[in-house]
Amino acid sequence: MKTQVTELFGMQVYTEKAIRVGEVDDLVLDVDGKKIDSLAVGNLNPELMELKGFRGVRIPYRTIRSIGDIVIVRHLSGAFKRTGVE
Amino acid sequence: MKNTYSRSLSKKKVMSTDGMLIGMIKNILVDLDTGLVIDLVVKPDPTFDTGGYTMDGDRMFIPFEAVKDIKDYIVVDRYLSKK
Repeated sequence: MKTQVTELFGMQVYTEKAIRVGEVDDLVLDVDGKKIDSLAVGNLNPELMELKGFRGVRIPYRTIRSIGDIVIVRHLSGAFKRTGVE
Repeated sequence: MKNTYSRSLSKKKVMSTDGMLIGMIKNILVDLDTGLVIDLVVKPDPTFDTGGYTMDGDRMFIPFEAVKDIKDYIVVDRYLSKK
């Protein structure tokens, strides 16, 4: 299915354990491979990770589970500071 | 491997390999299941002859396969850009 990239901007990003990661800021395109390289995610959940001097993170496209009304990424233990809801 | 932010592409001009100005990029179509970039959505320049290109109203679709390089301009192959 074809989707316009502008539809993704501002989409909420959650892990498959329903923890909010942030919001889609931009897409990184691999021009030579003609595919999506990663999603640039900003407005991050401060409880999940702390960034010093950065505005966001890039989430590789292969870790993305599905995209519909929101983006669901695979839960990577260790990638996030807090792995569950206390 | 060259990576580009999709927002940095907006308002870039699209040029064919024979030096003709095609138009201005408006959007990019992607397939979210496969992660592939499919088409560029271009607003054609009034001087450009859109014959042979896939059109939807005043928007033109150029397959991403035709993209040669992206720097100050987006350069597309003149033969591959028609489908």
